[in-house]
Amino acid sequence: MSTVLAAAAGEMATGEKVVFWILGPIALIGALGMVLARNAVHSALWLVLTMLSLGVFYVMQAGPFIGMVQIIVYTGAIMMLFLFVLMLVGRDASDSLIETLRGQRVAAVALGLGFAGLVCTGVYRALRDTPPAGLEQANENGNVQGIASLLFTKYVFAFEVTSALLITAAVGAMLLAHVERRKEDKRDQAARMRERFAPGNYPGPKAGPGVYATSDSVATPAMLPDGTSADRSISRILPTRELTSSEKTPKGTER
Amino acid sequence: MSDLQLPHINYAALAPMLILFGAACAGILIEAFVPRERRYPVQLGLSLAGVVAAGVAVITQAGTRTITAGGAIAVDGPTVFLQGAILALGLVALLFVGERSLEAGGPFVAQAALIAGSEPDRRQVVRPGATEVYPLMLFAIGGMELFVAANDLLTMFVALEVFSLPLYLMCALARRRRLLSQEAALKYFLLGSYSSGFFLFGIALIYGFAGRVDFAGIHAAALGSDRSNALLYGGLALLSIGLLFKAAAAPFHVWTPDVYQGAPTPVTGFMAACTKVAAFGALLRVLYVAFDRVSWDYRPVLGVVAILTMLVGAVFAVTQTDLKRLLAYSSIANAGYLLVGVLAMSKDGLSSSMFYLVAYGFTVLAAFGTLTLVRDADGEANHLSRWAGLGRRSPVFAAAFTFLLLAFAGIPLTSGFTSKFAVFAAALDDGQTWLVVAGVITSMVLAFPYLRVVVMMWLSEPAESTPTVSIPGVLTSTGLAIGVAATLVLGLVPAPLLDLSTKAAEFVR
Amino acid sequence: MTLAQDPTLASFGHDPWWLIIIKIVFAFLFGLVGTLLGVWMERRVVARMAVRPGPNRHGPFGLLQTLADGLKMAFKEDIMPRAADKVVYFLAPTISVVCGFTALSVIPFGPMVSIFGHHTPLQVTDIPVAVLLVLAVSSIAVYGTVLAGWASGSPYPLLGGLRASAQMISYEVAQGLSIVAVFLTASSMSTSQIVAAQAGNDTSWGPVNAPSWYALLLLPSFLIYFVSAVAETGRAPFDLPEGESEIVGGYFTEYASSLKWALFMMAEYVHMLVVSSVATTLFLGGWRAPWPITLWSGANSGWWPLLWFFGKVAVLLFVFVWLRGTLPRLRYDQFMHLGWKVLLPVNLVWILLLAGINVINDWRTRDRLLVIGGVALAALLIAMLWPTRRPEPEVPLQEQVDARPPGSFPVPPIDLQVPPSPRVRREVAERQPATVGGPSAGGQPEEKEG
Repeated sequence: MSTVLAAAAGEMATGEKVVFWILGPIALIGALGMVLARNAVHSALWLVLTMLSLGVFYVMQAGPFIGMVQIIVYTGAIMMLFLFVLMLVGRDASDSLIETLRGQRVAAVALGLGFAGLVCTGVYRALRDTPPAGLEQANENGNVQGIASLLFTKYVFAFEVTSALLITAAVGAMLLAHVERRKEDKRDQAARMRERFAPGNYPGPKAGPGVYATSDSVATPAMLPDGTSADRSISRILPTRELTSSEKTPKGTER
Repeated sequence: MSDLQLPHINYAALAPMLILFGAACAGILIEAFVPRERRYPVQLGLSLAGVVAAGVAVITQAGTRTITAGGAIAVDGPTVFLQGAILALGLVALLFVGERSLEAGGPFVAQAALIAGSEPDRRQVVRPGATEVYPLMLFAIGGMELFVAANDLLTMFVALEVFSLPLYLMCALARRRRLLSQEAALKYFLLGSYSSGFFLFGIALIYGFAGRVDFAGIHAAALGSDRSNALLYGGLALLSIGLLFKAAAAPFHVWTPDVYQGAPTPVTGFMAACTKVAAFGALLRVLYVAFDRVSWDYRPVLGVVAILTMLVGAVFAVTQTDLKRLLAYSSIANAGYLLVGVLAMSKDGLSSSMFYLVAYGFTVLAAFGTLTLVRDADGEANHLSRWAGLGRRSPVFAAAFTFLLLAFAGIPLTSGFTSKFAVFAAALDDGQTWLVVAGVITSMVLAFPYLRVVVMMWLSEPAESTPTVSIPGVLTSTGLAIGVAATLVLGLVPAPLLDLSTKAAEFVR
Repeated sequence: MTLAQDPTLASFGHDPWWLIIIKIVFAFLFGLVGTLLGVWMERRVVARMAVRPGPNRHGPFGLLQTLADGLKMAFKEDIMPRAADKVVYFLAPTISVVCGFTALSVIPFGPMVSIFGHHTPLQVTDIPVAVLLVLAVSSIAVYGTVLAGWASGSPYPLLGGLRASAQMISYEVAQGLSIVAVFLTASSMSTSQIVAAQAGNDTSWGPVNAPSWYALLLLPSFLIYFVSAVAETGRAPFDLPEGESEIVGGYFTEYASSLKWALFMMAEYVHMLVVSSVATTLFLGGWRAPWPITLWSGANSGWWPLLWFFGKVAVLLFVFVWLRGTLPRLRYDQFMHLGWKVLLPVNLVWILLLAGINVINDWRTRDRLLVIGGVALAALLIAMLWPTRRPEPEVPLQEQVDARPPGSFPVPPIDLQVPPSPRVRREVAERQPATVGGPSAGGQPEEKEG
């Protein structure tokens, strides 16, 4: 609280400085780690680190609401969805490092560094001796109240129009990802049971293969009481083949 | 805590947007509650009615000059003109989108989520397409309306997203060649979000400079601010990247050919016409209202961008063999000509740019509309070689397309000529001779690919594999007729619209 | 007492460093001891519900059982699966437990008290968005679960992790929305202010004072909060991430038994403590005493409120255990259905209603009555005109059997009288001498039954 008050007074308090110089490098490391990590999940985790640091920065800069929302929405929801997808894709899915355009990576690194340098020096020079202004007025009635009053006065139309964006996004997700199942394709419990007991279908569990009875191989069918072999007892994906004698002979127990 | 002073909202001025968004929401509800087989006529009727109603609302606002909704929306001459243009072009695009007689079920897929080429996908060939397209169209048009009316950068950003998101989605819904279409959508989405990021970063820098994001505030701050100009220039540069991306100007054009080719053709037409109007409308407002005081600084840079755009568009158009890609590069080149008009930085420049947007929009809509007609068993036949000898088979159709191509090339008696003339004249008046010279040269280069198509259609013998020209349904015929007629009328008697655009060419600050 | 009882936001941030450390240690101990007692209580209560004694060997009433278990786990071998992602595998339980403890820092345990001459609130700290901090921290705690599942490098934990992430995200939405009603009513997001807003102006019905708790005022919000809190903590009946009958142990299958496993257990109980404390703070009046106690004027001052607070938390913890002892686990689709299609819409409608009530409260009585009457009329009309689904005619069983295609699997006749099993007859026969025989022979059949 004290740091927040000090920040509101328009100067950088010691606490804020300490937090900045601890979390600033961490945020940077997180960003670099995200780009450099080979494993997609590690990338996502590095990004989480950066976003958490940013959230703390916002709180330190007298914007507690936006800081918390940053953590809840970005790290809590969005990155979690990312992780969800990455986990579904599989843990060993790492980037393909084949360049389709020759020299693309070098060019990208050079241009990226150049752009970063340009923006950083520009912003640094521009803001080197600029005093912060307007924080007291902005947080006069409290941070949350300040944001609320802006949302409902100056930016009310933009705020309302955002709902159009959200509706579009929801509809779009449905449109691109939802596979509609026809009513005929849906089978409920009763229908499945009826199917199970329909003529031609054997409702009981399938017999296990004849492992251990006559041989050691799961490719051996089970023997029916009348001496014929039950084809249903072996998996359909197993190729039918002649069994070797060692497979056929039962394995002795160890003594 | 002091009581909130709620802003006054001029609902009449906002009516076009409110009508469109309301109709779009109603469309979503229709998707939820109306039985599937009855959705198509209901949705189509609702969207057409919504666009027409919004058009009426725009017309009633003629002559309004006001800033409303807490300073977020400016309704003035250019807003009303451009909103009207977007609605008119959007109406024609909606006609193409709604066409279902050319192909069973229309140009959109029923379920995009099914894996392309799988068994259920083959089964859905005959199913009618997704009707969610209509609310998405309405959302897009509404977002564009807001984009040209936005009076601060934040509202503009929200509007940018509101009209971009439906476009990304609609790009992915082609019935034929769906993988290409989805790839196009993904490219558009990734690059679009990337450019939105630039736009947002630009807003942050400009806020750092001016302490405000509304255009009047930036205008005031540009006169004298104790902040470093680096913030202003950096912000403007990043902001322009975001806008020029949507306008498809080089070097931010790389998405254009792929997306235009992959998207369903009616959507391509919609993007080529309406997105261009919206993007240039916003660019005009940003440059003319907020940053007019630094025009001497950004003009040379944007001039280089304009020349680059014209060159890239013209030169690459020559090498294309696919008609949709050809038109994509032609649209890039046209963005360059529009930039010439924008950079005139005068009332003439503003009015001629607005005129150009309308004229080009109708022509390009009609051109993409004709592309939907030439089909074979696999859908549209867009490869250039397939069009050989088409003039012998379907002379009326080929004549119309030839006329449109001539308009693109800027031959007199077409709207292409009058609009280019207006833009170049405005630039010359302002002393931008170098831009005009580049414009004329690239126009001549650009005439070559158009004429090649014309020659191909008329002077080659039709081969066995030459596709047929489908008989257009009522909707497409109406759209084509409007497009061709507008091209012709604006070429013969451009004066009324030119007068209108001149009358409208004054921003409110 | 002349001290100001209710802390305001300005009362925070003036403590000397040693006092802050004391408070932090106190909050930490609350979590730690709460875990020890919570595990014990759960085992005893569930045992009682299952008519078993439960742990009763170590210490009085088996109170030290958890301590013994904890010590054992600390000394067990730490197993690292070969396929595990080493760093993340180690990090996951840590994240879980740290997040749990962090949230305790904004819980108000009591009013302003005097500690070594310092007048200070019984709360580590408070910020204007304290409740959001709790939400933020609990949203990060999900990472512990999800990463544990992923880093173990085996399928069951991965499935558990996936289930966990979907579950937490879904129910976080409902949880966040349920708190909105509290924000609307208390017009603050700071925990101490929300407690203060629930004080006073008790509605009195005769001699009985109803507490002005938000649990009563905003009952739907409270119920939704509690349901989603159970889901957030992953407790039965929502313990799908660790559903042992389906996916072995879920996300911590590979954390066989060691300190890391102990950390997960601790995280679960600390999380329960946190959601119970938050529920107490937001809905049950926080540290304030309920009505019969408030007849005593000193109830809400000094250190007594700690007792009320712990009492309320203990009751909520008991409900958690009760749920586990009573309800079976939900199926996954039912669970998602409940979250997205029931809790979420109900919540939204409720918030809308509440905001509407807030708005019309400022109106004149006539307008207000008109609006309320109109809404009631509309609701009635909709209820009347809502099309009822006609029940499908039930086909008699005999007809269904007759309608089956020839060659179907044979089924027994419907009016079949099942003859008594020969085994039962034998057992009855065996028992007969036992019932008439002496007490020495009576023991045998009883043992057989058990």
